[in-house]
Amino acid sequence: MSAIFAAASRLAMHDEKGNAFDGLYAPTAIVVLMLAIWEVLVRALHVNSVILPPPSEIMETLIERRGLLIDHLSSSLILIGSGLILSVVGGVSVAIAFTFSRRLREGVYPLLIISQVVPKVAIAPLFIVWFGTGTLPCLLLGFLIAFFPMTINSVLGFQSVDEESYRMARAFMGSKWQIFWKVQFPNALPYMFSGMKISLTLVIIGDVVSEFVASQEGIGYLIKLAGGLLDTPLMMAAITALSLSGLILYWIISKIERRFVYWQVDPDSIVGVGN
Amino acid sequence: MTALVLADQDPIPGAQRTGLVESSRPIREECIDPITLQLTNVGKVFDQLEAIRSISLSVAKGEFVSLLGPSGCGKSTLLMMIGGLIAPTSGDIIIEGGKVLRPRADVGVVFQTPTLLPWRSVLDNVLLPVEFLKLPRKDFIDRAHSLLKMVKLEDFAGALPRQLSGGMRQRVSICRALINDPSTLLMDEPFSALDAFTRDEMSVDLLRIWQTYRKTIIFVTHSIREAVFLSDRIFVLGKRPATVIEEVDVELPRPRCLEMMEENGFNQYVRHLRRSIEAGHA
Repeated sequence: MSAIFAAASRLAMHDEKGNAFDGLYAPTAIVVLMLAIWEVLVRALHVNSVILPPPSEIMETLIERRGLLIDHLSSSLILIGSGLILSVVGGVSVAIAFTFSRRLREGVYPLLIISQVVPKVAIAPLFIVWFGTGTLPCLLLGFLIAFFPMTINSVLGFQSVDEESYRMARAFMGSKWQIFWKVQFPNALPYMFSGMKISLTLVIIGDVVSEFVASQEGIGYLIKLAGGLLDTPLMMAAITALSLSGLILYWIISKIERRFVYWQVDPDSIVGVGN
Repeated sequence: MTALVLADQDPIPGAQRTGLVESSRPIREECIDPITLQLTNVGKVFDQLEAIRSISLSVAKGEFVSLLGPSGCGKSTLLMMIGGLIAPTSGDIIIEGGKVLRPRADVGVVFQTPTLLPWRSVLDNVLLPVEFLKLPRKDFIDRAHSLLKMVKLEDFAGALPRQLSGGMRQRVSICRALINDPSTLLMDEPFSALDAFTRDEMSVDLLRIWQTYRKTIIFVTHSIREAVFLSDRIFVLGKRPATVIEEVDVELPRPRCLEMMEENGFNQYVRHLRRSIEAGHA
């Protein structure tokens, strides 16, 4: 999912004129075409709306039942947002601890990597046993699943400073702490943002899955409920709303990234300078 | 060690001096302490591989000295030891009367690559050492601007490193090394990654900077012509383990200009040094 977003935004960003939307014309045209084919086929073959509603009906449901959708979506988005913030703060903090404590890095980091073989969504029912139903298990699952890419990307960013920059900083008498804040931390920012984009998609998965099993509200709950009622248009409207929200969140992160990682090549601002 | 001629910074061309005892080298009048850098039997062994053997040399204040040798002869290692970035296995390195155990604030370093931080503007890169030394940044902003002006980059203070060419970036790194007014500048093949034209231009600029700011410069290079053009004195280093195989005083008038590279006197030095290096590596 994130790979698709990344590819799309790369397409958009690396366009020669620098207009972020130029590169999106072709994909948009393809999507519109596919929706049209879907609409026509469903109508022509008289497919039951429970099996596959046409896009127009999904659109209709989105508008008609927007109150219900917005209620559930907003409670999910709050969880997704807080889960993401928690995982960013937690992941970066743990990565800083690993950077400064060799013992911690050597002792805990391998365990953290090994722990990733446990599929975290499988833990969701266990979280209900521990924390009951409601928002807490959803938040925790989202955090747990999104925390790891944040940590590993930040660690990678802190460590990927080249030897020459370290030597330069030492030659100009930078302390370990100064070198961290003035060299390693800015160096890690691009890595943190890629981690954040991966974490975003994961926190959405974690949140929806935990709402399936542990919640009485949220978009995941609504999808499950609509499925149980065989209200496929509502289910697909909910999925559409969730996907669009994910896309918007991804776009917001990209915008913030451009703001903070301003030094990386950006076709708009390259100035041709001779010697 | 042989010395061809001994004339240190004499403004009158052809003014010859003879005699060669290091401690009694003629120095500019204004210097009270003639020797700023002293190496005594400095050696370095990496995992039983001897890189540098017993190098002893001294450098006077304000002098431009080159360490000349082929690639991989250990001259950069020697420079990094003088900079306090690598510890010698044996011997002592003394700067301004103090033994070098770690990097010092009064020694600026210019590396082979500019190593600018890509997220910092040119001005902020130049001011990085000031921040590391916890000195008030505002006191150095004017100096940073005048250093940038010196290297003709005054219009690029706000630019990011990726907007500059290689030669411009290396000039920024020279400004960075000079920002807190160190007495000594260590330069590790600073122009080796640049094209020949830029290189020559940079050499001229460097001499101008040296004459303006009166620094002691230790310059590592594998280019004979560069060493002759820039230096007062050249130490030729032999290979594996590196030792000083010859010490040459360059008695060419200053200020020097690129046209001097075509002159006979210049080429005599080049020829002599080439033979010396070839003999040292035969």
